[in-house]
Amino acid sequence: MFFNDIHTRIRFVILVVIIILLLVIGKVFYIQVISYNKLSNITEDLWSRKMTINAPRGDIVDRNGNVLATSVVTTTIYVVPNQIVDKKKVSEEIAKILECDYDDVYKYVSKNSSMEIIRKGMDLSSEVADKIDKLGFDGVYLVVDSKRYYPYGEKLSHIIGFVGSDNQGLSGLELTYNEYLTGINGELKYYSDGKGNKLEIPDSYVAPTKGMTLELTLDLEMIEAVDNELSNAMDKYNSDGAIAIAMNPDTGEILAMGSKPSFDPTNYQDYSEEVINRNLPIWMTFEPGSTFKIITLASSIEEKTVDLFNDSFTDSGAVTIDGSTLHCWKHGGHGTQTFLEVVENSCNPGFVSLGNKLGVDKLMGYIRNFGFGSKTGIDLNGEGNGILFKNENMGPVELATTAFGQGISVTPIQQITAVSAAINGGFLNTPYVVSSIIDPSSESIIYENKKVTKRQVISEETSATVRYALESVVANGTGRNAYIENYRVGGKTGTAQKVSDGKYLVGNYILSFIGFLPADNPEIVVYVAVDNPKGVTQYGGTVSAPIARSIMMSAIEVLNIPEKDGGMLKEYVYTDTKYLILPNVVGMNKENATKALKDFKVKYSGNGDKVVYMSPKANSFQSVDTTITLMLN
Amino acid sequence: MKKGFDKPLFVAVILIAIFGLVMIYSASFVWANYKFDDPYKFVKMQGIFLVVGIILMIVLSKIDYHIYYKYANIILLICAILLILVLIPGIGTVRNGSRSWFGIGSLGIQPSEFAKIGLIIYVSKYLTNNNKEMKSIIHGVLPILGVIGLFFVLIMLEPDFGTAMVIVLTLVVLIFISGVKISFFVKIGLVGLLGIAGIIIAAPYRMKRIVSFLNPWSDPLGSGYQILQSLYAIGPGGLLGQGFLKSRQKYFYLPEPQTDFIFSIISEELGFLGVLIVTISFMFIFYRGMLTSLKSKDLFGKYLAFGLSFGLIIQASLNLMVVVGLIPVTGVTLPFLSYGGSSLLVSLASIGIILNVSRN
Repeated sequence: MFFNDIHTRIRFVILVVIIILLLVIGKVFYIQVISYNKLSNITEDLWSRKMTINAPRGDIVDRNGNVLATSVVTTTIYVVPNQIVDKKKVSEEIAKILECDYDDVYKYVSKNSSMEIIRKGMDLSSEVADKIDKLGFDGVYLVVDSKRYYPYGEKLSHIIGFVGSDNQGLSGLELTYNEYLTGINGELKYYSDGKGNKLEIPDSYVAPTKGMTLELTLDLEMIEAVDNELSNAMDKYNSDGAIAIAMNPDTGEILAMGSKPSFDPTNYQDYSEEVINRNLPIWMTFEPGSTFKIITLASSIEEKTVDLFNDSFTDSGAVTIDGSTLHCWKHGGHGTQTFLEVVENSCNPGFVSLGNKLGVDKLMGYIRNFGFGSKTGIDLNGEGNGILFKNENMGPVELATTAFGQGISVTPIQQITAVSAAINGGFLNTPYVVSSIIDPSSESIIYENKKVTKRQVISEETSATVRYALESVVANGTGRNAYIENYRVGGKTGTAQKVSDGKYLVGNYILSFIGFLPADNPEIVVYVAVDNPKGVTQYGGTVSAPIARSIMMSAIEVLNIPEKDGGMLKEYVYTDTKYLILPNVVGMNKENATKALKDFKVKYSGNGDKVVYMSPKANSFQSVDTTITLMLN
Repeated sequence: MKKGFDKPLFVAVILIAIFGLVMIYSASFVWANYKFDDPYKFVKMQGIFLVVGIILMIVLSKIDYHIYYKYANIILLICAILLILVLIPGIGTVRNGSRSWFGIGSLGIQPSEFAKIGLIIYVSKYLTNNNKEMKSIIHGVLPILGVIGLFFVLIMLEPDFGTAMVIVLTLVVLIFISGVKISFFVKIGLVGLLGIAGIIIAAPYRMKRIVSFLNPWSDPLGSGYQILQSLYAIGPGGLLGQGFLKSRQKYFYLPEPQTDFIFSIISEELGFLGVLIVTISFMFIFYRGMLTSLKSKDLFGKYLAFGLSFGLIIQASLNLMVVVGLIPVTGVTLPFLSYGGSSLLVSLASIGIILNVSRN
């Protein structure tokens, strides 16, 4: 009886003990299975010391693979003082290689910390790094790092932007595509005990992955040509600024873009925020002036409110609208002209008449359809919107001024994009500078930017007529300074008075030119604007057209644009150098050849009588100043 | 009358003790090498104690346990004297903040461990003699509680809270099975809770300990350190462990991994499987002890076998609960597995006595 009572209690105690042990097992199960991942991650960090190996940022290259921004490898020396056995010897050897004081090194090596950096970044050459690596000391680590390098500096700083001290993109493409350009950091991991000594467990090394390569639509040679021309414009005219864009009108690919003032991306801290943040070709808004007439022209042709060749207009030099007198740029006016001549002469009253025929709603509808008043959507940050009148706020005066490009405000990129649409068959495309994102390890394309057509604004035929009219502007009108012999060039000048605080500034203009070639099937369109040039006639035709011409000359070489026959002949004025077709004299004797080339200067080479070779080649337009070399046998 | 002793118990204990020795090597070689320049230092010491302990166990298994009944009072007196002596500076030495050792070179003997056996013998005898009086709280229970309280105070003076806890819990449960009214235990349970509350109010640092036990991350480098390091060992062990000798936490992360926290290292190296084996082994040893107690026809033998078995299992349970974070850190070693000569000798001696009880 009595034993039974004890036994019951013993069994009760056994039960309690079993429950306790089950609790223990349950808790261990919880720790080892449920919390396994959490605790494993914590302990992995606890047991290992990590050194991050920064991944090099992806390269930025032009359309031909020329490197525009890259990462240069640098090396950093780390020491883990706890792991260094013979601190004196290690300090001595390192000091010898670095050619610095023993004490300088020893102070790091003897420090009571988990990790010290002896040398960081650029000042360590690869030979030095190799030497240190060969010493093979425990606790001395070399970590490869990278630094951004911009071989073309200022020429591309507004497009490419720059990075901060941690290689993070701060502006331009470096910022907008930061996610792609940033690589995946690698790490060197070694295991250590609780006292910081290295354990005999193999180090793990995860190689860094370089960031993606950004391939741009830009062409380095075009960039350099543009930059060169803009620098000249700044020097020659002491201008406040200069802007140029070159674009493929069919696709919207930007071939070159440049502006002054510019900044050096490596030392961006030395420049004002305004210079850095304002990418003028896409940010700056100003009155376009006469280049905008292309839009009015295209709209009128599309709406058939004008017949360029048969309708005529008489310009008295001014037109009075609602009591306001609007003057033509030419004092006294252009007299009676066809509308083609109105375009060639850039006659303001003529365009007022075109605007009136369209009316507010139609004109403004086309202007908006051509992309004005809203961002083009170019893949660069900091784009401006521009300012247009609201239709309901437009009276006859506003309609008149808008028709010839005054009283509205647009960006250069809007202008070149709109004019591209006017001449490419009517298609408004989104301009872009990044053509593709490429994974450098597999060379596979991660993302490809393709032509995006927003809408067709005008018909193919209208576009062809616009091209013809603009070719005529260059051959016979205000754009003559952009004429290139043997090529078909179209274009339009622009002269716009700058506005400050709602008032026009006196003698302060932005002179612009939009040109394209070949005029019948444009491969490139170039926009140039010079802000407040000094000491020169204030017309776009005199300042900007020659700059655009030079850029187009470069484009001919770079893009290998062939010569074209069938273009309009230039109507010569007395100041122009005369160009003539060079006759073919190969095969003639010396006397006949000299006669045939009487308008040119001729140089002979060789002693024979028969011309076997001539340079430049025949049947091309050549300036009468050109020396023709004839090789005689 | 000569019967064989409980062979399964004997074999299980030998196996777990050898397993313990192996794990002590694995857990201690880093520390041993660091402190003594000899990775085998701890395992050699423990090996000697193991051999001595097994001999002691076999010898005790042959000595008729009734002899303890006879000498219970003298044994207790010797224990008391030793516990007083160890408190005297110069005789007792301080290790890990407690003056609970008689140091002889690098050997250390903890009298509190031996007092455990002495008290179990004494209480078993008391309960056997005062079978009837135990119904009375005043005449039966309080006198023996007074004796236990005295020893508790002596051990707490060292202080060795862990061993004191083990002794008090063992003896209270021993008294419990003797048939004392349940209501009494409810009352002392309440008193105990009040006492704990009082102790916490008196010394707020203990509150910190409890908080750190509930959330060790609140003070990861202070009071939460040990339990966190223990969890860091157990967690990554996973189902099958990192592999024998492959613990990382023993590399100076978990302090003195061969003693109180050896179970963490076992969990880390052998995983959940190792944990199951160890826990089931303890359960088996306890169960064999209980069988001996249940089968014993002699009241003293019954109490003795129960007390010694329970003493081992409650110590093991407390250690395991601490290590896995179920209760705050108390400083209790794991029988047979933790490094420590006295603990191993006393554990093996306890088994020896149980084995002798099993013969009858």
